[in-house]
This record gives sequence, structure tokens and C-alpha cells, in this order.
Amino acid sequence: MLMLSVDSSAAPASVCLFEDGKVIADYYLNTGFTHSQTLMAMTESVLKISGKSADMIDVYAVNNGPGSFTGVRIGVSAVKGMAYASDKPCIEVSTLQSMAYNFLGSHAVICACMDARRSQVYNALFRVNGDEIERLCDDRAIAIEDLLPELQALNDEIILVGDGAELVFGSTDNASVRLAAPQLRYQRASSVAMAALEKYNRGESVTPAALMPRYLRLSQAERERNAKKEREGNET
Amino acid sequence: MIRKVTRSPQQTEELGAKLASVLKGREMIAMFGDLGAGKTAFTRGLCAGLGISDGVCSPTFAIVNAYSGKYPVYHFDMYRITDADDLFATGYYDYIGNGVIIIEWSENIESELEPDCIRIRISKTESENERIFEIEGLDDYADVIC
Repeated sequence: MLMLSVDSSAAPASVCLFEDGKVIADYYLNTGFTHSQTLMAMTESVLKISGKSADMIDVYAVNNGPGSFTGVRIGVSAVKGMAYASDKPCIEVSTLQSMAYNFLGSHAVICACMDARRSQVYNALFRVNGDEIERLCDDRAIAIEDLLPELQALNDEIILVGDGAELVFGSTDNASVRLAAPQLRYQRASSVAMAALEKYNRGESVTPAALMPRYLRLSQAERERNAKKEREGNET
Repeated sequence: MIRKVTRSPQQTEELGAKLASVLKGREMIAMFGDLGAGKTAFTRGLCAGLGISDGVCSPTFAIVNAYSGKYPVYHFDMYRITDADDLFATGYYDYIGNGVIIIEWSENIESELEPDCIRIRISKTESENERIFEIEGLDDYADVIC
């Protein structure tokens, strides 16, 4: 089974080919270049250099949110288009969950955080226990100040991943919280493939037409409350 | 706050160009003011100050125009943006911090403006071509702008 997995949910972009239990090609860029310019070029390049062609792909996987509005749309649209052309199944992967898969095989709590601006993060918590990854909460948008007490209460070693990791790290003096090393810090397509593989084995695929971005949004009331708090903070 | 009176669209453009000269490339500039206040003229001047000479027009239907000059400039018109879903679907949040963002009809998205943005309120007077600009957030550059 040949899987093409894609991530372009935030600043980095990556494409991976995964076949019969092996990552056979993995292309990662974090240059700040626009995904609309790099993603298809990367896809073409991993296929070509691996001696594969698009019609050999059996299944597609993509991080379909949370993340940047445009980034998620680019990844989902690219996969939707490729899968639609050959009528192949697609696996939707939560960006946050895919980051927990960076740590597959280890033992820790993974706190996946993406910067949602204004001292908030898109976040979910996972307990990695060797080959098992247990989700501890739903994907959510949360104020950093509300996340910190939860981390404290976990009473476990916690690894921060994602582009919001440094923000959270800088706001806490909790000694059991640490930053993921740079090569494991961000979402990447090889981890998308690992997360997607489990879903694929459980039969959780969707048609290309049903593949959609899943954004997380704060409610209007929460945003207004935060904006007000920030304004008051600026005045004092 | 800086207060400046202009007496013609050309003077409004000149004010925009002066303001451009103090930008560092990642600011958000939120304009407030009625139809015909001079928001687009001001933006045209600001863009000219950044080396963008043509194509600057109000993105009433496009919602956002992207220009490339000394810095990237993202020119929003929020006139038709009426709720949070509309705004989200413009990709507004992805632009923040990636260039100069200049916004017409900021009234419509006030809760979503960056707290440290530059605010410009433009008012008409009884004299047809006269406009009063009240600029918040650039007091350190009052000498350059006035």
C-alpha cells in the first residue's frame, strides 16, 4: 500500500511517501516560502525521485486543521484534487494529533500547541506510551493562562510541540515541561502518515469530495472578552 | 496623538507617503472614516511612499489587494465584512505580521484589530476638500509626519 501524506497547516510544508510500513521519501521545508509554490513541486519531486507516479498512490492523508486558514486550505485542496482525479480514499488527520506521532515509541505527555495569536493556542494533549497514543482531550482553542494549570495538574513529564510551544514554554516555570528538540518540534508529513495508517487500518477514510478543512475557532464572545482584556492590559 | 489637516486629495496622498517613511514593514494601520473621507487616497500615497506606483484601488469586492514594494502591503476593505465568519474566510489572520496591513472600514472589525495597531481617524469638515487626520500610535514620529 502506497500512501502520500501532506502537511501545510502552518509555516512548514512537507510531503511523505509511505509504503508497506516504511517511510520511503520525506521532503520537509520550513523556509517561509508560499505553500502554493512549494507543495506541488515537492510532491512531484518525491514521486519522481522514488520512481513512483501519481497513479500508483493508493491512499492520501493530510493534516486538515487546525492551522492557518490558507495553509490548511492549500493542503486539503491539493490532496482533494489529486485523490479526486484517481478516485482514491483520503484520511483526515488532526494537525495536533500528527505532532504527537513525532514521539511515537517514547513515553511522555505531548502537549501540541499552535499559535492562535493573542496569547492563545490551538491545543490538544496526548499520552504516548510506546506504540500507543492516547488522546487526553479534544482539539481546542485555549488561552495559555488556562492551559498552564492543566499541565501542572498532569503531574508528568510534558513535551511541548508545535509553533506555539515556545510561547507556552516562556509562560511557565513548571519544571516538568520541556521543549521538543528542533527536529521533532513541528508537524511533518511522515508523522501524518503514521497517524493516518492507524485510521486507515480502522477503515476511517473519506471520499475526496468529503475531505474538508476542520478549523477551530474561538467564539465571538471569547474573542471580544480577550480583546477587551488586552486593551485594558495595554492601558495599565 | 498626531493631528493633521489636509486640504486636497493630493495633500492626503502626501501625508500617506510621509507616514510610509516611518514604517518598519509589519505594522497594521486601521483607518476609520466615512465614504469619501480619503482612505483610498491616503493608501495610494502610503503605497507610493513604499515604491508601489500603480494598481492601488479600494478592494471593495476583492476584500484584499496585495501589493509588492519596499515591503509587502495588504490592503483590506472591510466594508462588506459583517461578521467573524466573513473575516476568517478572508484569511485576515494569516496576513498579520507578514507585511504592512492597511485597513479601510476598520469600524467593522474593531474587536479583531491588533492591540498595538496604528489608528487613523479621518473626518470631513465644512470645507469640501478639507480633512482632519487623527493618528494614534506614531507619536514618536510626529516631527516626520507633520
